[in-house]
Amino acid sequence: MKKFHSIHLKRPSAIFSATRLLVVAGALMILAGCGGSGTGDSKESQRVDLLGAGASFPAPLVTAMADEYRDHTDGHITVNYQSIGSGGGIRQFIEQTIMFGMSEAFLSDDIMKDVENKTGGKAFNMPITLADVVATYNVPGLEKGVVFDAHLLVDIYMGKVTRWDDPKIAALNPDKVFPNMAITVVHRSDGSGTTNIWTSYFSRVSDQWKEQIGYATSVNWPVGVGGNGNEGVAGAVMNTPGAIGYNSLSYAFLNDMSYGYIKNASGNIIKPSFEATTKAADIDLPEDTRVLFTNTPAEYGYPIAGFAWMMVYENLEKNNAIETKQQARELLRFLLWTITDGQELCEGLGYARLPQAAIDRNLNMIRQIKWEGEPLGEEILKEENLI
Amino acid sequence: MIKPVKSLKQRNLRDRVMESLLVFSTILVMAPLLIIIGYVVVQGASAINADFFIHELGSPARAMQGRPTGLVHSILGTAVVDFLALIIAIPVGLGAGVMLSEYPDHKLNPMLRIINDTLNGMPAILKGLLAFALIVKPMGTFSGLAGGVALAFVMIPIIARSTESALMSIPWTIREAGLAIGLPRWRVVLSTVMPAAKTGLVTGFLIAFARAAGEAAPLLFTSFGNNYLPNHWTGMIMGPVDTLPQRLYSLAISPYKEWHAMGWAAGIVLLAFVITLFITARMLTKEKKY
Repeated sequence: MKKFHSIHLKRPSAIFSATRLLVVAGALMILAGCGGSGTGDSKESQRVDLLGAGASFPAPLVTAMADEYRDHTDGHITVNYQSIGSGGGIRQFIEQTIMFGMSEAFLSDDIMKDVENKTGGKAFNMPITLADVVATYNVPGLEKGVVFDAHLLVDIYMGKVTRWDDPKIAALNPDKVFPNMAITVVHRSDGSGTTNIWTSYFSRVSDQWKEQIGYATSVNWPVGVGGNGNEGVAGAVMNTPGAIGYNSLSYAFLNDMSYGYIKNASGNIIKPSFEATTKAADIDLPEDTRVLFTNTPAEYGYPIAGFAWMMVYENLEKNNAIETKQQARELLRFLLWTITDGQELCEGLGYARLPQAAIDRNLNMIRQIKWEGEPLGEEILKEENLI
Repeated sequence: MIKPVKSLKQRNLRDRVMESLLVFSTILVMAPLLIIIGYVVVQGASAINADFFIHELGSPARAMQGRPTGLVHSILGTAVVDFLALIIAIPVGLGAGVMLSEYPDHKLNPMLRIINDTLNGMPAILKGLLAFALIVKPMGTFSGLAGGVALAFVMIPIIARSTESALMSIPWTIREAGLAIGLPRWRVVLSTVMPAAKTGLVTGFLIAFARAAGEAAPLLFTSFGNNYLPNHWTGMIMGPVDTLPQRLYSLAISPYKEWHAMGWAAGIVLLAFVITLFITARMLTKEKKY
């Protein structure tokens, strides 16, 4: 019997040696994995990976900040930000699979209460940047600068104005010639903070919209076709003559799309720009910064703008995605950097700088953040001589 | 009524017509593949350069401002996640296949067959969700391991099926010969049936591997994606990692022209990866003759 075995064992076929190799390689990889994470205090452990996800609206800015921050820390801190939409960002933040989420819709009272019950601390919404949502369109022969007002946009998204040569459009744009062409309405199909800002504007200017549709990250659109992400809406508008959609300003810039100017509540026609956004955001900011400032009363403010918030837990150790105090510390350092030095990147990418009031509120929130009861946020602020 | 064939000439003609029809069908089958390869290469060749293989992606601003950017992290990530999946899937799939072929009377087999077919027909995104619930939630983070498990779910039913048919193709006389010299049943399978069927087995692994290597959906919420190489190399297994199919998707729907070209280039690399594997494995199986 033994003899037969040995004969067979002497002739291992190619496939078995290949399989064996694979298994050995796998076992080595797993062993090395355990060894790597076990080296607690070595120099290597200074290297930290941070993970965030959410809104597509601030994605070009946050990823550029990540690039810059990596250079700033000599490659020690890598911030991985994935653009999955505000709805996804909030979802994964609650699921505790990411260290921070991003959204242009702040967390609802229900979610805030839920987080408080689960983690014994608050969920903070910290504004990182702010930007305009613009009406993008694709009408042959028309450049940017078609003027819209609130009621016209509501009528278009309600399906009441269906053609580009409608007298309501002509009345606002006496010097332009519009083709006899049907309007194709494009909206977001996924849960979106951009939708939240857009529909909150509609709800504030139209009672009918407020009652029938309301505002949220996704609503029951009366008309139109859906696109996935800021990218999807931009794509649908660019490929459909006669289409109108809404995008964050930076996407309109990047794709060289035509976008409209908006007549605001004071009756001034406002071109989207970061100056106009900053003016709109000049409001009395509440302590938790959870506020929408669409349909601004500011005379020269752009009326459809909003914050993009970074969401973090007050008790950082309660977030399953954060394993070590080191990670928590680096997360706070990055957060602090984005609202201070990181703001330098905003204007080059089509975003507005945070107003001082928002920075102050953020510092106040960072100060409250803890790790297992230790005032980690306060430590970081002291390190940077900010308190 | 079929008319009797009159002459040799006529018969040869008929033969040639049938043959050319077959050649035509073969071309029809191969055409889509060649068109895809050709189109991808034409579109993506411009984005393939040294930077593509040594730099990480970073932000869109990087590409727009012409700074070096590449997909080295996605290429390495794909290799890690796919091989992880293969390591998980081969023992399980092979075991199921052996069970179906060598123990045909086992009472678990009808159930196994149904489960295997269901798993095979299940949308891949559901396998991703399953891996999310099994690995990502308990670990508290997206990881290459979760991606590997999700892809293993794609590979397992294919490996089980192909193993079964490869083993079934080996005549029963071989098994009888082994049993006759007193080998236990497991030893017969391991040392006589499986070596004889090795070409079929490896082909099965490869088909499974190639199928899984092209999947993006199961990876969306498991390996999740990363714009960089992780700071620790173990981060590829324990942390979020980028893979070519998923990156290809996100590059393709992005609004940036530079990223579109990189998406095509990612397609070239993915195709080359799969084709190289096929060729390597073919050579491996030809190495030895019985």
